[in-house]
Amino acid sequence: MTPAQPPSLDSSQTQPSCSATPASANPAQCGSCAPKTSRRDFLKAGGMLSLSSLMGTGALMTHSDDAHAAAEWGEHFQKNYRLMTEQEKIEARDRLQRRYSAEYGKPVSVDITGAQPGVLMGYALNIRKCIGCRRCVHACVAENNQSRGTRPGEKIEWIQVLRMERGKFEAEKMDHGYPEGLGIQVGGNAYTPAGQVLEGQFHYNPEAVPEKDATYMPIACMQCEKPPCVKVCPVRTTYREGDGPVVIDYNWCIGCRMCMGACPYWARRINVTTPVLPKAEMNPVTHYLGNRPRMRGVVEKCHWCLQRTRHGRYPACVEVCPVGARKFGNLLDPESEVSKVLERKNVFRLKADLNTFPKFFYFYD
Amino acid sequence: MKKIAIFTVALALCGGALYAAFALNSAQEEAAPTLAAQEAKDPLVCFESRKGASEVEQREIKPGLPNVKCSPTTGAALWYGDPFDGTVPMGKMPGLEKLPEGHAVVKPRSEKLAILPMCGTACHNGVGPSANPPALPKDKRPTAIPVMESLVPDLKDLQHGRGRIWCLDCHHTTKRDKLVDHFGDPISFDQPQLLCGKCHGDKLRDWRDGIHGKRIGEFASDGKKRWFTCTECHNPHNVQDGERNRGFIQLQPEPPPQLPNGMKDARHELVHPVAH
Repeated sequence: MTPAQPPSLDSSQTQPSCSATPASANPAQCGSCAPKTSRRDFLKAGGMLSLSSLMGTGALMTHSDDAHAAAEWGEHFQKNYRLMTEQEKIEARDRLQRRYSAEYGKPVSVDITGAQPGVLMGYALNIRKCIGCRRCVHACVAENNQSRGTRPGEKIEWIQVLRMERGKFEAEKMDHGYPEGLGIQVGGNAYTPAGQVLEGQFHYNPEAVPEKDATYMPIACMQCEKPPCVKVCPVRTTYREGDGPVVIDYNWCIGCRMCMGACPYWARRINVTTPVLPKAEMNPVTHYLGNRPRMRGVVEKCHWCLQRTRHGRYPACVEVCPVGARKFGNLLDPESEVSKVLERKNVFRLKADLNTFPKFFYFYD
Repeated sequence: MKKIAIFTVALALCGGALYAAFALNSAQEEAAPTLAAQEAKDPLVCFESRKGASEVEQREIKPGLPNVKCSPTTGAALWYGDPFDGTVPMGKMPGLEKLPEGHAVVKPRSEKLAILPMCGTACHNGVGPSANPPALPKDKRPTAIPVMESLVPDLKDLQHGRGRIWCLDCHHTTKRDKLVDHFGDPISFDQPQLLCGKCHGDKLRDWRDGIHGKRIGEFASDGKKRWFTCTECHNPHNVQDGERNRGFIQLQPEPPPQLPNGMKDARHELVHPVAH
C-alpha cells in the first residue's frame, strides 16, 4: 500500500495489499511492488481469498435459521420492482417470505398481486362527520407494520388528524389592533385562530372528542394523479400504479427525502432509526409494495392498504372509522360509494391549486 | 499465502458457528416471555362504533392473526381481521334488491339487548294486572314507569323528537320486542333502518348508497359487506346528548403522535405566538 514500506521477503504478506487496491489513483505506486511476485502467485492468492470469503458467506447463508442473510444477499442483486420479470418477482417474494417468517416467528405472506383491470381507486372523507378520535391512525399502524418505538423518530404514523380552531370574533377586541387604539392596519381580531391549524394542534389530547371549539381534518397520502413526489425521485423507486395508488419499492429507496420535500400534503415518513416492530404485533399479511416491514433509511407512506384493496377489501382506516366518515371505492364504477359521493355531495380536493389532482376527496353533507 | 488462506477459512467457519449459536440463544430468549404472556391473557372484548352497542371478542383466526385488534387505551376495535365475524344476512331491504344473495350482512343486535327476550313475556305479554287485554293509555304523554326507567336509564330524559314523539311511535304496541312501521307491522331490532327511514328518509337514501354510515368488507359495489345499522352508531333514546356538538356521542380519543423534537407540549404556538 505505502510505497515507503520496505518490500518484505515473504511475498504472501505483501500480496494482498497490492491486489486489494486495483483502482489506485497512481498506478506507479503499486508498480514498485509488482515485480516482487509472480503472476501465478498473484492469481493463486486471489483465488484462495475469494474461495475463503465465498466459503464464509456460504457458511453464513446455508445455516437453516439465517434467512435474513440469504435474503440480503439476493436483494443486493435484484432490480427495480417495475423492471423485474414475473419470475424475478416470484423469487423476490419467496426470498422475503422466508426471511420475514424466520424474523417474526410466524408464517408471513408477501403478496405481489398487480393492478386489477377496470379499477381506479378513489377515496372520500366526510369532514363534517370526523370527530377526531384517531382510530384510523392506529388502525393504519396495526395494519401497515409501522415502527412503534418510543424514542424520537421511532414512532411513525401515516395519517395525521389536524385540529382546527373554531375561534371567535369579539366586539371587545375591535380597538386593540395595530396601530394601538385604532386597529386599522391590523385588526384587533387578527390573531383569532379561526379555522387555523397550529403546529402543536396535531397533538391534541382531550378527555373526549369531538370538542366544542374544534373541527378535525385527517390528512394522509392523497394518491395524486400528478404526484410531485414521483417527479423528484432520483432513483424512480416511487411511482403510480396502474390502479391509482402511488407506491414505493423500499429496496431501491436511497433515503434522500426529496419526495418528502416535494409532497405538499406532509404524507411521507422516513425511518431514521431501525424500525421497532414487535413480533406479536406484526401483521403477517403483507404486500411487496405495501406493508411489508421496512428497513432503516427508507421512506414510507400510505398506499391505500394494497394488500387488502388488491383483493377487494376496504382499507383498514375505512373499516374502523366509528362515524363512517371514510369512503373508499372504484372511481370507474358509477355505483361505488366514491362515485355516488362525487355525484351527490359537495366535494373538494385539498390544495387543488397545486395541480396535483388527488384521488382523495373531502366532502360534507 | 496458504497460511493466510487457511486462517481466513477457519475464521469464517468459526464466525458462522458463533453467529448461529448466538442467534439460536437470542431466539429462545425472545420466545419464552411471549408464550407466557399469551397464556396469561384473558379474552379481550372491545366495542365497535359506540360504547354500549355492538361488541366483539378477540380470538385467533389463524396462528398470529386475530379476528380483531383492540385499542389498549380506549378499548375500541382498531383493526378487523375478519369483517364478517358473527354476522347474519340483512334480510329484505327495499332498494338493495340488486345485491347478490347474502352479500349484505349485519351483526344481530337483538342478541346483545339482554332484556329483549323478557319484554314480550314478563311484562308486555298482553296480560295486564287490571285489565285483560290492557287498555292503551288515553293520551300520548310518556308515563314514568320506575321499572322501565331503571332498565333503560336514557328514558328518564328522552331526547328524540324534541318532545314530539313517544315510545309507541317506534316500539310495537303489543309485541314489545319489535319495532313498528307505518302500517303497524312489526320490524326486527336487527333492521332499525326500516323504522328510522320513516322520518329520516334522506339519511336512509344515503345509507343505502353507502354514503352515510359505515360498511366493512369488500369495497366493490356488489361485494359482500357488513352493514352497520342505525342503532350501532346512534343511541335512539339519546340522540341530542347535550355534551356534544357534532352529531355524535363524545368518546375518548386514541393517544396523540410524537411531539416534534424540541416542542414541550401541544400548546407551543399558543404560548409562543408569532409576532407581527
